[in-house]
Amino acid sequence: MTEPLGNFWTAVVNGEEKQLHIAQTNRLVDVLRSHLNLTGTKVSCEVGRCGACMILMDGEPVNSCLVMAYQCVGSEITTIEGLYGEEEGKLHPIQQAFVEEGGFQCGYCTPGMVISTKALLDRYPQPSQEQIEMGLCGNLCRCTGYGGILRAVRTAGETCLSSSILTTEEKKVIDL
Amino acid sequence: MLLNRDNSGKRWHLRPDGVGKVTGQLQYLTDMTLPDMIHGRVLRSSYPYARILSIDITEAEAIEGVFAVLTSKDVPGLNLFGIATPDQPVFCEHVVRYVGDAIAAVAADSPERAALALDAIRVEYEEWTPLDSPEAALAPGAPELHEHGPGNVLHRTEIKRGNVDEGFAACEHIVSETYYTPRQMHAYMETEGGLFVPDESGRLHVYAATQHGYKDRMQLARIIGCSEEDIRVVSSPIGGSFGGKDELNVQPYGALLALRSGHPVKMHNSRKESVRAGLKRHPMKIEMQTGISREGMIQAHRVRITADTGAYATLGAPVLNFCTEHCLGPYSIPNVDVEGVSVYTNNGVSGEFRGFGGNQAIFAMEGQMDRLAEIMDIDPWEFRRRNMREKTDPGPLNQRILVTDGLSQVWEALDRSELWQKHQYPSADLALPPWIKRGVGAAIAMHGAGLGYGIPDPAGGRLSLNAEGKIEVAFSYEEFGQGLIATLEMMLCDLFYCSTSDLSIIIGDTDRVPHSGSSTASRSTTMAWMALQRLQTPFRSKILSVASALSGIPAAELITGIEGVWHKGQLSPEVTANEPAMNSRVVVSYVDLAKHGKEEEWIFDTQFEYPTTPDNVVGGHYLYTYAAVAAEVEVNTLTGEAKLLDTRHVVAAGPVINPMGFIGQIEGGSVMALGFTLTEDAVMQDSRYMTTNLDTYLIPTIRDIHTNLEVEAIEDLPEGDPFGPRGIGEIGSVALAPAITAAIHQATGVWVNRLPVPRDQLIKPIGVLLQEGVSSS
Ligand code: FES
Ligand code: FES
Repeated sequence: MTEPLGNFWTAVVNGEEKQLHIAQTNRLVDVLRSHLNLTGTKVSCEVGRCGACMILMDGEPVNSCLVMAYQCVGSEITTIEGLYGEEEGKLHPIQQAFVEEGGFQCGYCTPGMVISTKALLDRYPQPSQEQIEMGLCGNLCRCTGYGGILRAVRTAGETCLSSSILTTEEKKVIDL
Repeated sequence: MLLNRDNSGKRWHLRPDGVGKVTGQLQYLTDMTLPDMIHGRVLRSSYPYARILSIDITEAEAIEGVFAVLTSKDVPGLNLFGIATPDQPVFCEHVVRYVGDAIAAVAADSPERAALALDAIRVEYEEWTPLDSPEAALAPGAPELHEHGPGNVLHRTEIKRGNVDEGFAACEHIVSETYYTPRQMHAYMETEGGLFVPDESGRLHVYAATQHGYKDRMQLARIIGCSEEDIRVVSSPIGGSFGGKDELNVQPYGALLALRSGHPVKMHNSRKESVRAGLKRHPMKIEMQTGISREGMIQAHRVRITADTGAYATLGAPVLNFCTEHCLGPYSIPNVDVEGVSVYTNNGVSGEFRGFGGNQAIFAMEGQMDRLAEIMDIDPWEFRRRNMREKTDPGPLNQRILVTDGLSQVWEALDRSELWQKHQYPSADLALPPWIKRGVGAAIAMHGAGLGYGIPDPAGGRLSLNAEGKIEVAFSYEEFGQGLIATLEMMLCDLFYCSTSDLSIIIGDTDRVPHSGSSTASRSTTMAWMALQRLQTPFRSKILSVASALSGIPAAELITGIEGVWHKGQLSPEVTANEPAMNSRVVVSYVDLAKHGKEEEWIFDTQFEYPTTPDNVVGGHYLYTYAAVAAEVEVNTLTGEAKLLDTRHVVAAGPVINPMGFIGQIEGGSVMALGFTLTEDAVMQDSRYMTTNLDTYLIPTIRDIHTNLEVEAIEDLPEGDPFGPRGIGEIGSVALAPAITAAIHQATGVWVNRLPVPRDQLIKPIGVLLQEGVSSS
């Protein structure tokens, strides 16, 4: 997938083809935040621990602080800005659930949480407690104590199940 | 009332900042950029304690793309900062006192180039042996870290009453224990940073997080040597603070670099830099001796507190005051001898942190209560009740405090709770393997709100009808996640029966808000409520009198409501809110009202002070929030792992304005306290951090939390109470630790006296009976 391309970087970001002239050793998180101005992806620990920088790369949740530009050339990248509801102007059911259940406070972890939740529900539309914990333990939140987040994920699971929005992807089975 | 979404009904209010946060559209101050901005970096000390022999910046300055390199020589005004005691240099000149000390700052056209320039600055040091503990700093002959001595003592406190020696002599039992608490890190997810923008008129716009924009502005003006009006501080939204962003952090550097270079300067600390330079919770050693009579009444209490305040003062003194006040707990004790000392060391700077020294004190005091109850062989909760202060008793510092039933109410509510009842029947769950042990513990706390007697604690606010016809409030409080904006919306809707679309809420911008004090010490909700109580009457009468003049309907028959003023005789605005024909019933709209008279006539201001005790005891509080917590813990005695299974927080803080915010604050505080108890410690060795990032400094994840956490709110206040809802920002975090360690004791027999709980103390060889109450007392 990764051809050496000099300083030419290209990827599909939130459905749009993006081309940049940048060093291939840039971190994806910086590419998104600084070069594409997609500041919804946050940065906090820069060592892959906190999940604030979580994005979907070809559908998989990854810490964008750990991905170099050359590692995602040609990939399909979804950031928080690429998540929306079925109708224009509407929130994605996961986002809606976070708002309704108080799944955030300062909100700095929230984009990463929402992305991880999306990845979780894509895989397990009706996640067990264990699956939720596994799916979100790579995302730290210092404000909520996770109570509101847990409630939001459960609510989102219910609403997503009844809408088609999340279930487009093929379900992958992973043993926890 | 058990607080949850179902019980909250219509008061489950969706936060206005929610959509921006869940979509990533909300710009934090560290997300801001400008086309011609450059990037700032700070050079920090290579040693915890050293003399600076020379600083050479010539090579750094010569690098292409470097716009400014600054050292102490480039500070036009005061080269010091600090909220209470300005003793922290902006740039060190002769001596460095901790690894976060700044020596120089650079700004360059890319972050990489700024890093290169930092590397090119040559500093020669003479390395000294750091004072790596309060003991080392207090030892005779230890070098003095600051000129303003004596010795390395920042602050001393004491409470003495009665005669403890006589008190102890008359005691049947005495428990002596020394408690140790960790250097906890705030670990807000958004690290420090912001954008610093000079404009053509010479004004500086500072977009950086703080809990008190006006205080930052004052300090920055002092550093720059300009007038405060030359600076505008925009300080919300904030990605978490918990007390950790109350002091200046990147602001002096961003500001000076921007002024020197003439460019907007972006600063954003890496996590490592944030750990290295940022504030922490004071590690404390608390020695306690508590004696009781044969009947189980506390007779004497001796306490020695040693706090490691690190290299600079910040709020070390008030934190120690608070700790001293709270180490008596909510108990009446005739003979008291408390001494506290806060000591300068070469360790990381300790400052304010949610709970403000209460956490450490309450852990120790409640630990004593459990140990004493065991000696007496009575129920620990009953033991507390016997010793609890009466509601009309003076406060811990013998000061007058507001009389409420809060303490006995939380005691009773917890006593009734199912979780605490389990305590009577320690788990006999046969399904559990023998190395898994369960226990239940509880703790109680009274926690002061506001800054306390003798410390200026101004409050105020502004209410107006703005030119667009919105009811506008403006406060100098900040939104760092706690839900302040939502709470303000709810207060205003309650007062004026209006809807959120009628409102405009302004915070966090010194150009647009009046000086109404800081968002600290659990005070914003109370202060905002009190301000609105003062402002509502003049504001409402102005609206109704103008509406009356315009409509010809007597003011007494009018009422404020959705979109404007209504005729009282009609259906109440709340009921009609959903009716399409609603508009036709508005007598005069806010938009039309705003067109009448001069703009300033629609503006109402108030200024007042946070309520304090009338008695002359510095730091003494008047308003307290009360809480009781029960915790069920499971200990794996093979691994030493303790897991919190279940908790119940009972909080008496007056009426719950915003249930979602209330639950969130208690849940968040509780999990933060869980980290304080079980895993969090910013370990220092030879005054250098060993835990430099979130991979080694372990805050709780979603797997570590108690899956069951109930919050019960007691909303009663004395009739006609003029202070309204009490703050709850801290109360969720102060009493969990002793509840957990009490539960661990019930489970394993081990008395824990050190946080985070050392796992090795909980490991037991299989086959050994786990009843040998190991106590260091
Ligand atoms: S910033 Fe990438 S995981 Fe923390
Ligand atoms: S909401 Fe602040 S870190 Fe999660």
